[in-house]
Amino acid sequence: MKVIINILIGGQAGQGINKVSKIISSIVAKKGYYTFNYRDYPSLIRGGHNFNILTISDERINSYTNKIDFILALDIDTTKIHENKLNRNCIVLNFQSFIGLGRNTNVALAGALIKLLGIEKQDLLNEIKKEFGTKEAEHAAEKGYDSQGSIIKYHLKKLKNKINILDGSEGVAIGAVNSGLNVYFAYPMTPATPLMNDLARKVLVIQPESEIAVINAALGASFAGAKVMIGTSGGGFDLMTEGLSFQGMSEVPLVVYLASRPGPSTGVPTYSGQSDLNIALRGGHGEFPRVVVAPGDPVECIEKTNESFYLAEKFKCLSIILSDKHLAEGEYGSDSKPNRSIKFSVARKIPGEGLVRATSYEHDKYGNTTEDSVIVKKNNEARLLKYSKIKKEVKKFEMIKVHGKKNSKNLVIGFGSTKGVILDAIKDLDYKFLQVLYLMPMSSRIKKEIQKAKKVVLVENNLTGQLGRLIRERTGIQIEKRILKYDGRPFLADELRKELGKI
Amino acid sequence: MNLSTDYKITWCPGCPNHMILESSKRAFNSLIKKGYKKNDFVIVAGIGCHGKIFDYLNLSGFYGLHGRALASAFGIKIGNPNLKVVCYAGDGDTYSEGMEHFIHACRNNSDMTLIVHDNQSFSLTTGQITPTSQLGFKSKIEPNGNEIHPLNPIKLALVSGASFVARCDARNIEHTAKIIKEAIEHKGFAFVEILQTCIIFNPSLDHARKYMYKVDNGSNMKRAMKLADEWDYATRNGRIPIGVLYKHTRQTFEEKHDVLVSLMKKKVGWKG
Repeated sequence: MKVIINILIGGQAGQGINKVSKIISSIVAKKGYYTFNYRDYPSLIRGGHNFNILTISDERINSYTNKIDFILALDIDTTKIHENKLNRNCIVLNFQSFIGLGRNTNVALAGALIKLLGIEKQDLLNEIKKEFGTKEAEHAAEKGYDSQGSIIKYHLKKLKNKINILDGSEGVAIGAVNSGLNVYFAYPMTPATPLMNDLARKVLVIQPESEIAVINAALGASFAGAKVMIGTSGGGFDLMTEGLSFQGMSEVPLVVYLASRPGPSTGVPTYSGQSDLNIALRGGHGEFPRVVVAPGDPVECIEKTNESFYLAEKFKCLSIILSDKHLAEGEYGSDSKPNRSIKFSVARKIPGEGLVRATSYEHDKYGNTTEDSVIVKKNNEARLLKYSKIKKEVKKFEMIKVHGKKNSKNLVIGFGSTKGVILDAIKDLDYKFLQVLYLMPMSSRIKKEIQKAKKVVLVENNLTGQLGRLIRERTGIQIEKRILKYDGRPFLADELRKELGKI
Repeated sequence: MNLSTDYKITWCPGCPNHMILESSKRAFNSLIKKGYKKNDFVIVAGIGCHGKIFDYLNLSGFYGLHGRALASAFGIKIGNPNLKVVCYAGDGDTYSEGMEHFIHACRNNSDMTLIVHDNQSFSLTTGQITPTSQLGFKSKIEPNGNEIHPLNPIKLALVSGASFVARCDARNIEHTAKIIKEAIEHKGFAFVEILQTCIIFNPSLDHARKYMYKVDNGSNMKRAMKLADEWDYATRNGRIPIGVLYKHTRQTFEEKHDVLVSLMKKKVGWKG
């Protein structure tokens, strides 16, 4: 890795921090550089302190660090707050140099940085034109660019990589649209809302009165023949759980997007954590089959969302896509491409075509309510059989991935949004990384990988090691070495590397 | 057309639910005679005594969760706006567990029908109070009688924006059938409150039947509010107007979404 640049953009909510990271990352992505943008913000609309950390590299980058090369400060507090993160030669670009530009101060800071990266002014202006289309913004960008005189810190030459920037929410949206999504039902809740906003530009999005209404309406729409998805975060998911169980009994296909936040309860709404695996696996009373997938980056979001739709329709089952704030809002500039998507249609009979019945009661083959012990037993067994069919079908898909040094005896295990940081942390270390993508059903290869390894380390963004518990339940193997982080913040690559060094 | 099923009916002998079932069959049959297809209808039911109607009507159906029938009915309409959706629910179902959906269904004005079997008690769970139980109603858990003031669902529907509000007497089969038919044909959210007794747990309403009288259809909100006020759910005093208390047409939920309008024009669902 020859180039790695960490840029912190900070200020108050509403000052246009995301615009700055978007402008910079779009420009460098066009030059073939990989990017990762981390967003950190409290739950408020104006004021407070927000910051993004944008990392630029000529090699794949999937996480951020706290070693900052540039600070773009939109207010006085930013440099003070992040003092301890600055590299020795860190350059501070300050809003005070651009007094009088008002709302376009952020654009000027972006312009100044672009100059320091050694990028042509025209590239900057093209981007500004596309993003804003105002003379004021162009003027601000130019003013920022020119403010640095002849100083150039980097010479970012054009690379051949074809970079596409996506966040996890966009990935899920693409996967859903590729699957033929007709209607998305959701009640606003961070960090699931970005998906709702994105889908509203693409399909019919309905916002009913509560998460309870969301899931019951979605089941109704699916029953009537629409391809549907619903989305929420922890508390909303709790409200939906009776509906999950209803899905199990009625066998109306349903895809659920669960973007978790650190809990319990209202918890830490705008921060990240992986503490909702347990409820994704077990939410809802009674015993019924389900699929739980956890993509680890936006491209996997596209693929796993598509698989979730396919499985839900094929088996008339429940599919849950697990994400979290870090994946949902982390912006990945990457050259990887998704697998070709699976196409499928709604083949089941729907109302209007004939007599169709769905019910929350135990029922006979006509859909009539029954309490008959023979049928109750038979139906329970049928639900179990369905799960075994799902288990067989999902073998077609990547249920796990093994990254890093394939022959290493040292194994890191994780799922979901920690993928990126684990990849970056074990780079050049004698480790391989087992990424679990299907949590339910689970791949039998997990046990073999663990047995082959000498040292096994569990990495999770939660307090109790929920994936570890699941692996113990499925394999009988207790993973003793665990690195768990539960302060509402995702792991940093250098921090995780240090922790791995201690084990 | 025979809309019966061979499923054994397990409502108590003499329960007015039998009469609501008969009224419904008559309403559906008269619509089928008019040209509607049997497959155009989907019934939705909540959980409670009323919900058993799901097994007794030979139509496509969705037997939902307690309190959530209306939310599912709304979803079915979005899943295919060409379907005629008729949602059956109880008073506990609608006014207690599912109150949020009731108010928002009135606001949304989705083109569907809600029929509430209001027997002023939770009966399948053996007789607890509901939000329409009269003051003094005694149950196992309220041995001294209900002390909580009931709500007036008619007034609530009116102020929440329902575009069709009707009240029926379950025992008046012919009149109820006529109102249900009119409700299904109404373009927008139609709310039909059917007053019935629970002959086991709350039979008091039968004494009030003599105060029931039919009113003509009206589209005047002031008149409707006045009519809604006549009968006091708490004391059981006053005259009880039955019929279409209020009816007017306004844009439906489905008409607000171009993509749903286009499905209605093409007369297809999302499946094509």
